[in-house]
Amino acid sequence: MSRPKLSLLRPALGAAFILTLLPAAAPAQDSAEIRFENHQFKPLSLTVPTGQPLTIKVVNASNETIEFESFKLNREKAISPGESIEVRLPALSAGSYDFYDDFHQDVPEGSIVAK
Amino acid sequence: MLHKALVMLAGLLVALFVVAQLKTVPHTNPPSKGDLAAPPQVEAILRNSCYDCHSNQTRWPWYSRVAPLSWLIVDHVEQGRKQINFSEWGDYFPRTRKRKLQWMQRALHDEVMPLWSYRLMHPGARLNDADRDTLDHWIDTELAGPLTGSSPQ
Repeated sequence: MSRPKLSLLRPALGAAFILTLLPAAAPAQDSAEIRFENHQFKPLSLTVPTGQPLTIKVVNASNETIEFESFKLNREKAISPGESIEVRLPALSAGSYDFYDDFHQDVPEGSIVAK
Repeated sequence: MLHKALVMLAGLLVALFVVAQLKTVPHTNPPSKGDLAAPPQVEAILRNSCYDCHSNQTRWPWYSRVAPLSWLIVDHVEQGRKQINFSEWGDYFPRTRKRKLQWMQRALHDEVMPLWSYRLMHPGARLNDADRDTLDHWIDTELAGPLTGSSPQ
């Protein structure tokens, strides 16, 4: 029985080593939650760190269909009562990004503040 | 054998088509809550390219009465009216009007409106460069203005 040559194993070992590094090299994904209930978003202002991708879970805890929308973030998505969505955002630059319910214009506007 | 199977399949499709006609959907054109007041040139473009899905003055074509197309078209118009409705323009808060204009301008620049599926059946609704320039200029003018309205916010 012949032993595998070390020169043949090297590329495979190298690839395996790089693969173990990948998760650590990927930027951490921050997450936050915004709830819609009693005809308003909570929290109304959400502070998030800059420079890393972000996932925001938007929960519609009301009994009306809403549309979570933000022109600055270029996102719009309708959410049925009792449903939730995940809004994935790239790393944000410092600033304020307003969001609102496009189906109910009397709902107070919220903001995501990146700093 | 194959011929018999094809005949049965065709019969089944015809039966499904007939049954589908029993599920009707309402083709509404509710009263206006305040039509958009825009320069005639702008209004003409909007009426020609946008109003069928984004107003309460939809020109329902004959095929919008034939299922299953009718279900898709009625749903599409409902969604379109929710996003922006030129027959409810006067009912929008100024800040809502501003947002709608911003989204309109983005759609204009990205050339995503009118949708290809609509253009397929309405080739004349396609916006040419002159139409885009006219709308773009009008949106800029509106956004630069006070966006006043009767609504409180």
